[in-house]
Amino acid sequence: MNQKTKPLMRVFQLTLAIIATIFAAYPVWFIILASGRTAGRLFSLNLAEVFLPIGFSFENYQAMLFKQPFLIWMRNSLAAAGLTTIACLLIATSAAFAFSRMRFYGREWGLVLFLAIQSFPGVLSLVPIAQLLTAIGAYGKLWGLILAYTTGTLIFCTMNLKGYFDTIPIDLEEAAMIDGCGPVQSFIMIALPLARPALAVTALFAFMAGWGEYVLASVLIPAPDTAKTAMVGLYKMANDINVPWGLFAAGGVMIIIPTLLVFLYLQRYLEGGLTLGGVKG
Amino acid sequence: MAQWRGWRKALTVLAFIAPTLIGVLIFNIYPIVFNTYISFTNRNMFHPNPDCSVGMTGILEPTCWAVFHKNALKGLAQPYTLKTPLFGNYIDLLGKFFSGPVLLAVLAILVCFVPLIIAGQINKRFEKRVERPVPAWTVTLGAIILGVLIGFAVNFGAAVNLIAGSGDFFVVNFHSILYVILCIPLFFVVGLALALLLNVKDLPGRTFFRVILIVPWAASTVAIMMSLVWKFFFQDSGLFNMLLRLFSLPTKTWLNYPIYAFAIIVIANVWYSYPFFMVTILGALQSIPGELYEAAEVDGASWWQRLFSITLPLLRPAVIPAIVLSSITTFQMFGTVWAITGGNPSNGAGAPGATDLVMTYAYKQVFQTQAFARTGAFAVIMFIMLFGATLYSLRISRITKGAYD
Repeated sequence: MNQKTKPLMRVFQLTLAIIATIFAAYPVWFIILASGRTAGRLFSLNLAEVFLPIGFSFENYQAMLFKQPFLIWMRNSLAAAGLTTIACLLIATSAAFAFSRMRFYGREWGLVLFLAIQSFPGVLSLVPIAQLLTAIGAYGKLWGLILAYTTGTLIFCTMNLKGYFDTIPIDLEEAAMIDGCGPVQSFIMIALPLARPALAVTALFAFMAGWGEYVLASVLIPAPDTAKTAMVGLYKMANDINVPWGLFAAGGVMIIIPTLLVFLYLQRYLEGGLTLGGVKG
Repeated sequence: MAQWRGWRKALTVLAFIAPTLIGVLIFNIYPIVFNTYISFTNRNMFHPNPDCSVGMTGILEPTCWAVFHKNALKGLAQPYTLKTPLFGNYIDLLGKFFSGPVLLAVLAILVCFVPLIIAGQINKRFEKRVERPVPAWTVTLGAIILGVLIGFAVNFGAAVNLIAGSGDFFVVNFHSILYVILCIPLFFVVGLALALLLNVKDLPGRTFFRVILIVPWAASTVAIMMSLVWKFFFQDSGLFNMLLRLFSLPTKTWLNYPIYAFAIIVIANVWYSYPFFMVTILGALQSIPGELYEAAEVDGASWWQRLFSITLPLLRPAVIPAIVLSSITTFQMFGTVWAITGGNPSNGAGAPGATDLVMTYAYKQVFQTQAFARTGAFAVIMFIMLFGATLYSLRISRITKGAYD
């Protein structure tokens, strides 16, 4: 395969690459274009306008930031995803450590149970969760949503971290135990610092999951407008015929671009994390 | 931690796992138990409220507990009770399935796949031999042709319709299976083509393409937003129709046609999912030793021969777990389909629409029709099926794990 590529082959390769690039990037590019168009200018485009930002205006962004509760939505989303991540890591790390390092009755059984639970279709446990939250008075409140998110990602976090703890050699901890270190100490002083990359990746996953979540948020916080998360607010806005689509696009861009940047920046890390821990049981 | 014994060890373990265990018990196991219980009742639009004196309702309904009583919803509607044939909801869902003609139809469909299974066995037996009477792809192709012929003979379409006619459960499952069958090969082909492209060492702008081509994966973290963009492309006043109009071609309301709507949700899902395959395959490609290709080149193998005899077989251990995992998530697809078509075009109220997959149908049944009990039964059946699939997928990924080393 070391010989020089033939010119015809090169043309074919580049054509394929360009077509793929348009397919991959156009939807994201389009929402950026749409966010700069006001009112009817989105529905009668000429060929150049389909691809180029001609007459780009920031009106939609202004309206979105200052006339709509968008910043409140963003704050809600950030709070929900952020607090979920913290809570999840606080709770799941110790359990993951126990499942990886300690041998106790019901350990294998517990792992199978976790797997079984994960295969229960999430949409269908919405009603019981909504009822539970109603009973404790958390329905329609942000902390109820955080509670639901946290418990929803617990199993994923536990399994992912357990997978990583499994790959850390136990020798260090055994050495520490000979020196008189108990399980709590060896967890906090040895395993936790070693697991820092896995903690970061798991945190990122948990955050991303909460950030983009729609179904739970839409069911658990149906009203008022100011209590919604960004996904739910924008979704409603996009399907509201009285609201210009460009406005939704502006909101969408403000959500998607940071997400894209974070993802692309940490992409290598994410792939590594997937193969590092992995939900392999 | 072997020397820890007795109650001290038990206490330590408990301290470590208790918070997770409590969370899982309350928010994961309780919903499953509750759903299962509800599936034996007649809870629906007309009987929404709990009656704390009936059966286990008093134990399982949180608002029945004294502590939470003040938060209970007070409604005028009838409370729900246990269904009189206890398995009534299950009989509603599956009942018509267990009749002579329908079971015959299932048998007819299964027969169509027999040649493929036999071909798989034949290929497995000859896998290790250097000299083979016929190449593997000929056997597979022959099996597919034979399967299609048998399909015509047993009237495949009529058999599917007969099964679909025995209940909505089968219609939506059929949609979901069709969705998986259409999506997964496309994920693989697109992912493979682009991975092969990115694997060309001297491709100009390789790093640029590598970053751009995984943009959809990043966008899938906010899938619901991007799905609305896909919807905008194909709606009546959307981008696709605008382009058609620019070239004076006839326009259509694409999302109103079952076939086009289904194709659109497939394309959108390919957009989200091919980067995962691309990255997986690219990783596996880079671990294939170059000497294999050099040896093949010395032997005068063409590009296609190298692809089918070296690349594809060596990609298998990496790709099969990806395929199994994607199949399960695609089967359960909700957000994308919900945002783009919402299950429409509709086939009348209550009936599954042309693009209703398992999860969108269940969601509608709960939140629009409020058929809580029947959907509970639906959930229990799906749960059993999906758990089986998950266990199977674990087995497959464990088996293939050894192939890396």
